[in-house]
Amino acid sequence: MKRPACKPWHQAVLGLVLAALLALPITRHGLEASMWSHMLLQFPLWMLAGALLAAALPPRLRRAIASCNAHGITGLVWVGVVLSVLMVPRVLDLALRDAAVEAAKCSALLLAGALLRLSWRPAGLVLQGFFLGMLLPMMVVVGQLYIDSPLRLCNAYLLDDQVHLGRWLIGLAAVFALAWLAHVGWRLVRREETQLAPP
Amino acid sequence: MLLRTALASVLLLLGGWAAASWLTYGFQAWTDEGARRLEVALHPVTAPPITVQGPGLTGSLPALLGEDGGVTIVDFIYTHCETVCLTLGSSFQQLQAALQADLAAGHDTKLRLLSISFDGARDDPTALQAYAQGLRADPALWRFVRVPDVGEQQALLRALGVVVIPDGRGDYEHNAALLLFDSRGRMVRIFDLAEQQLAFNYARHLARGPR
Repeated sequence: MKRPACKPWHQAVLGLVLAALLALPITRHGLEASMWSHMLLQFPLWMLAGALLAAALPPRLRRAIASCNAHGITGLVWVGVVLSVLMVPRVLDLALRDAAVEAAKCSALLLAGALLRLSWRPAGLVLQGFFLGMLLPMMVVVGQLYIDSPLRLCNAYLLDDQVHLGRWLIGLAAVFALAWLAHVGWRLVRREETQLAPP
Repeated sequence: MLLRTALASVLLLLGGWAAASWLTYGFQAWTDEGARRLEVALHPVTAPPITVQGPGLTGSLPALLGEDGGVTIVDFIYTHCETVCLTLGSSFQQLQAALQADLAAGHDTKLRLLSISFDGARDDPTALQAYAQGLRADPALWRFVRVPDVGEQQALLRALGVVVIPDGRGDYEHNAALLLFDSRGRMVRIFDLAEQQLAFNYARHLARGPR
């Protein structure tokens, strides 16, 4: 198995720095200035910060989480729920003018990143496929809605921006799907190799 | 462990459902604009006491709205607009025509039109006058004002939930709509531009009101 690229506490420090940077008003305004960077840069970056921080979770907490996260199901449910709720167009507008909503949004994403990391491997290929099978079609549908809507769905963003975001959502869903299928293919090939290898 | 996982997952799903339900007013409004229209219908918004100025008139907005003891349909415009405001202009022209037809038929519906500019710096009374003439506005029925004070203009837009964003090409995009005010200066309903007839009927009904 692959070894982590750097030590857990290095990752956690990196995650902490990233989270602090993202929380700065100047970064927030920059990322939230357009609709696509709000959803497709800021959201994943908060999740990345969470995933990095998860590296330094103390073993006791890790065990406590694992005890109600069989096969990573709870974690993936959290990620799915958070991402679905955050795709409601109203969230983007509300996050811009309501600090409580913004804080809830960012912490939910941070936790989603951490839980995704803790849950992805335990989930195995079948559950991963199920999870992506729900999430990616939803991204495509939402993306298509953003492209097709003749009206602005967010008061704070331009119509062009919305179309832009829609195209990116569909493109990213396709990339994720292909990457995961490639990963599955690679795993299957590896398994066959080990089965066929002479003892 | 599986039981606890199942329990936690169900709780999360319920929590997500509750959050989505709160966010969308029970799955009625997916956009902030939809939510704003619902909120206004449930809780009317009082117009802030700011000063407005137009061709031949200066005064407070609530006073202007309550002037004839009638109902006012308000829209937000800027005179340099080439896109959505032209639509607004033409729907206001049709509303004015409907009002004139009412008057010609002999009954005053006590319904007035008011266009408020959110480009107070450029839209001085002269510019508004020229714009009004271009649209053949009848000053008795349809008036044009700006908010001269920048701070007051921001306060008005915020209070009424009007969001204006520059599009980077010298124009603005804004959530254009027909805002309905009663004689007490309260915004009671917001109608979509496409619901012009509905807005007119509703306003006329409200203006007749209990006598």
